[in-house]
Amino acid sequence: MSEELSMAILELAHDDVPEMIGRRLEAGEDALAILAECREGMTRVGQRFQDGDYYLAELLLSAEIFKAAVAQIEPHLPATAHDRPAGTVVLATMRGDIHDLGKNILATLLRAHAFEVHDLGVNVEPAVLVDKVREVRPDFVGLSVLITTAFRSMQEARRLLEEAGLRDSLHLMIGGGVTTPELKTWLGADFQSLDASEGVAWCIERAEAR
Amino acid sequence: MSAVIETMTPDERLWAAIRLERPDRVPVLPTLLPEPAATLAGVSQAEVAGDVETAVKAVFHVFDEVGGWENPYPASYTPLQLQAGGVFPMPMRIPGVDLADDIPYQLDEKELLVPEDYEALAELGFERFYYDDFLWRIGNLERDELSPVQTAMAQGGALFLQECARRDTRPLFLASALHPFFTLSLMRSMVPFTQDLYYAPEPVERALERMTDDLIEKQVPFAKQLGIDVWLLTEERASCFFFPPSVFERFWWPHTCRIVEAFWAEGIVTLFHLDTSWDKNLPYFKELPRGSAILELDGNTDIVAAKELLRGHMCLKGDVPAALLSIGTVEEVEAYCRKLIDSIGDDGGFILSSGCSVPADVRPENFRAMIETGKRYAPR
Repeated sequence: MSEELSMAILELAHDDVPEMIGRRLEAGEDALAILAECREGMTRVGQRFQDGDYYLAELLLSAEIFKAAVAQIEPHLPATAHDRPAGTVVLATMRGDIHDLGKNILATLLRAHAFEVHDLGVNVEPAVLVDKVREVRPDFVGLSVLITTAFRSMQEARRLLEEAGLRDSLHLMIGGGVTTPELKTWLGADFQSLDASEGVAWCIERAEAR
Repeated sequence: MSAVIETMTPDERLWAAIRLERPDRVPVLPTLLPEPAATLAGVSQAEVAGDVETAVKAVFHVFDEVGGWENPYPASYTPLQLQAGGVFPMPMRIPGVDLADDIPYQLDEKELLVPEDYEALAELGFERFYYDDFLWRIGNLERDELSPVQTAMAQGGALFLQECARRDTRPLFLASALHPFFTLSLMRSMVPFTQDLYYAPEPVERALERMTDDLIEKQVPFAKQLGIDVWLLTEERASCFFFPPSVFERFWWPHTCRIVEAFWAEGIVTLFHLDTSWDKNLPYFKELPRGSAILELDGNTDIVAAKELLRGHMCLKGDVPAALLSIGTVEEVEAYCRKLIDSIGDDGGFILSSGCSVPADVRPENFRAMIETGKRYAPR
């Protein structure tokens, strides 16, 4: 695997990345290999973030570069080339809250690590979340929250998941500026973080442990 | 709980803390805005969002019910009035209109500012750009609604002052602004603004420069005219939670120093409302003149570390977390407040408060526990 593309993503070279991808697709390189190199770049960005050398801003920028790269590569992927995802995730900001910045970052980072993400958006009713979980049987449910008025609907979602017999088959994670370890306990969630990158690392660890 | 003997008036107590002197007890001053006040007063979010008089009355209903606290945090607004006043320049969803009656108003992040607008901002200044153009892109207000909404806001402010006067108190501040950096981030939205800072920074810098000039030119004389001694500067997106020090140093800190120093030259203290973690940014605040600012922290910054770093230099306000007030128990709230008072309230320079605003779904008993603990608990 060449390192040129993953290094360009690591260095947030937003102009160079599409140019490199275009050149390599035109040269007939395997689209899957190009995508893998983009993912490698995102892994390096995540590592730099974990090391404290990158901040949320750089995560955002890399996520945007990666999204554009996927859009550029996807039409060139063979129909049979879709790998088995690393895991399936349902994300939502629950009723009472319309903020989605953190959730959107998490969604992009998870996709960069080959997770299949179903993003339900904001102000989501608990019953809608449960229906989606019933439909796609995810490995993870992630609830993002910025204001406390969504706490009760998050609690209701967890209760409905339990009543439907769906809670035990998935990992429930929460994230966002107002979340705390105490909230995790109160909700009966499995993971809590203020940091999307930490959430991705946790999903990868859990997925690998399966 | 140890007993407190009060020897100061609320105003004396607050100012002792701001001046980094030891008050008779820790001052208590929750950031009680209309949204939590509605919950505590038993009115709906739609009602306080629709009528400023209801909002002000809800705040003072709560103030009276718990026996008051130090100076009230100004809260005389409806969401649309904030937008009409140039605060929170982005689309809003309003309870009773776009949201259920029981959900507080919220900002709806959208990319309404385009890159070319930075030059217009630098050329025209914020006020002209906002009222000639940008406000109408947002779409919450029609042009013929602006004047009545602004009038109602002024009436709400007057009512707030009357209610303060009736209780022989005064508001913590009367003038306020969002930091120009935060304003641009809201107008442009987070991701494109970040891209601009990294990939096309010069126009952003020019806009920030002009907006800082405008803020100083407008707000300092306004504050002087009002005869106030504190004003509020809000920033929720500039800390090292979001950006590396290089961005902070280039785009935020120089403008901030200019603003704080311009107010301080007139004897006016800047109350910083700082959301997210500012742990890595705290050392910068030592560069500001001693006593020139108060840092209002939301529970994500390590307030004990802030105290160690800024002891004797800057007053801190905070930081009972929103989640604790929302879902915690009375015992947990009391314990948190006692710990704060014991650890950082011993020598002045500290105001006990909610971290950020009191949450809209605060449990009434938790709110009361925060106020009561502040008033009654004497540090060990």
